[in-house]
Amino acid sequence: MQRLKSFADQSATSSRLLGVFLLTLVTLAITFVLPPVADSQLAGGAAISIVVLGLSWLIGWSGQISLGNSGFMAVGAYATGIWAHHHPSTPIIFTFILAIVVGAFSGLVIAIPSTRLRGPYLAGMTLAFSAAISPVAQNFTSVTGGEGGLFFNTLTTPHWFLNLFSGQDATINANAQWTADLAVAVAGVAFFFMANLFHSHTGRAMRLVRDNDVAAELVGVNLPRTRTLAFVVAAAFAGLGGSLYVLINATVTPSTFPLTLSITLLTLMVLGGIGTLSGAVIGGIIYAFSSNLVGHINSLTGINPASNLGANMQGIIFGVLLILTMLFAPRGIAGLGPRIRRFLARRPRIAPVPTEE
Amino acid sequence: MSQFLSSAMMHNIFAGLAQGVIYSLVALSLVIIWQSTHVLNFAQGAMAMFASYVGMTEIDRGLNYWLCIVVSVVVGLLFGGFTERVLIRPLYGKPEINAIVVTVGLLGVLEAVAQALWTSTTRNIATPLSQIYFHDQGRLVLLSPFVIFQFTLAIAIMLIVAGLFRFTDLGLQLRASALAPEVARLLGVRVNRMLTFGWMLSAAVGTVAAVIVASGSFGLYPSDMDGILIAGFIAAVVGGLDSPVGAVIGGLLIGLTEQFILSYWSADLAPLGGIILLVVALMIRPQGLFTKSVSRRV
Repeated sequence: MQRLKSFADQSATSSRLLGVFLLTLVTLAITFVLPPVADSQLAGGAAISIVVLGLSWLIGWSGQISLGNSGFMAVGAYATGIWAHHHPSTPIIFTFILAIVVGAFSGLVIAIPSTRLRGPYLAGMTLAFSAAISPVAQNFTSVTGGEGGLFFNTLTTPHWFLNLFSGQDATINANAQWTADLAVAVAGVAFFFMANLFHSHTGRAMRLVRDNDVAAELVGVNLPRTRTLAFVVAAAFAGLGGSLYVLINATVTPSTFPLTLSITLLTLMVLGGIGTLSGAVIGGIIYAFSSNLVGHINSLTGINPASNLGANMQGIIFGVLLILTMLFAPRGIAGLGPRIRRFLARRPRIAPVPTEE
Repeated sequence: MSQFLSSAMMHNIFAGLAQGVIYSLVALSLVIIWQSTHVLNFAQGAMAMFASYVGMTEIDRGLNYWLCIVVSVVVGLLFGGFTERVLIRPLYGKPEINAIVVTVGLLGVLEAVAQALWTSTTRNIATPLSQIYFHDQGRLVLLSPFVIFQFTLAIAIMLIVAGLFRFTDLGLQLRASALAPEVARLLGVRVNRMLTFGWMLSAAVGTVAAVIVASGSFGLYPSDMDGILIAGFIAAVVGGLDSPVGAVIGGLLIGLTEQFILSYWSADLAPLGGIILLVVALMIRPQGLFTKSVSRRV
């Protein structure tokens, strides 16, 4: 029986990994048909989806509510920016590793006081952390470039890739697509790791801590260490996502990480579905193409996009969606699938637990 | 005496306390909600900002400044009650994250709507009380008629809240509903109504803070309460979310810390005052400096 269960667990994990792999391949293929603008949007979405995945892990699997992941993102981004500004020719993989390590370290530093807190206290503490990043970046001008930020141009498209393109705007097309492909590939690797982590020993311990920390302690789970580890992993993902995010834009400034970014990340995670891989993918897609969607809504309703209302439509829609999702479908879009299936099967519904996968 | 009042130390203390009472009011409003419904309202600042916009822009239509404050507070009261009834009530008994997400969503909506309605340009509110600092024998004293009004108003609000909770029948019912809702209900307290009233009271206190902020030198703009909410939150945690007195003292401490960082280190780093204080406080007493230690029920 035990063997049977572990076999079932294994096959579920491997099918999940296969899913991640196939989705990455399909997305890479899609970048070839998308116009350059959409490719750039997709690249941004891929970067954000990595951050959302880390947040989803932290909130959905370890039950710790953080509003500070935009802060971890900023730490990874500045590590990338400072390094890339001074050493533009470093291989990109090294820059990513640096961002991951520095991001994870910032997670550790924040986790040490924070894991003493729970629930709303923790959310507020991490919010204060993410709000503190911008003043620090503004103050230490010699390192961070202050208000104007840092510029770097590290994402150079290799020659063999450029040669694939011809005709007018070949370079623009090639650059946009190379960026998108790189971002999607990095996101694919990140999702692959998380898919493994979800169903590892650590992942199971994490869920037990979330559901019943006293029981977890009784069966020998080290609570502070598990909680801290959750933060470190989430911060490493945020660091990687932030690094990718600023490499795509080739600049990092204090205003890249406003307080509203924390709200956006939370919205994307809740809309997609807390604690699921597919939820983070959906969140990334929503982020990538939200401006198109908002533009569409503006033109449908006849709102002038240049007007005050039109310019703030995205904030209004995101906020309203966040509230409505939490009130009426707390498992997000990824949770709708099982819900519909259950409805069709007409089995008695199990009371929904919003944070369970 | 004049030397003393105009010394650098007193400048910092006056400026720090002036900012601190604003934090104290916000912290107090967070504590009122926390005590009655165990929700940390991330939209507290945005709700207060919105109410102050509705009230204070009435000045354009020729309404008297003092009446504008009254309008703001009344709007705040209604808004608080409405929010509790419509958005928060369905979430009681659900996981903590649901209420956090909903209030964060409300924060996003309110700031976006405020920008759409009133643009993000700062508006300066003309106050009938002078904002020019006093001079004492040619030396500057960092107090103005407006700052004195600000202190008086904040202290009055705190005393009213304290008196309401301690000496009135309503306050007793509020405390009973927070402490033991089931028992209170059995004894005839309309607990649901008390929860709504707690939110109304809290929103009104927050609105007073927002009105002071809007009338001050930074003016009124849609995100004017963001940093203040964070400082107010830290103040509430430092003091202990269960302790109104602790929240007020926490707010004053943060105001002073920020002012001293600003004056002796760097103006950019002043917002870090709160977080430094928070880390120190968490290391000494994670449950809050002014709260009675309680064990968590499992």
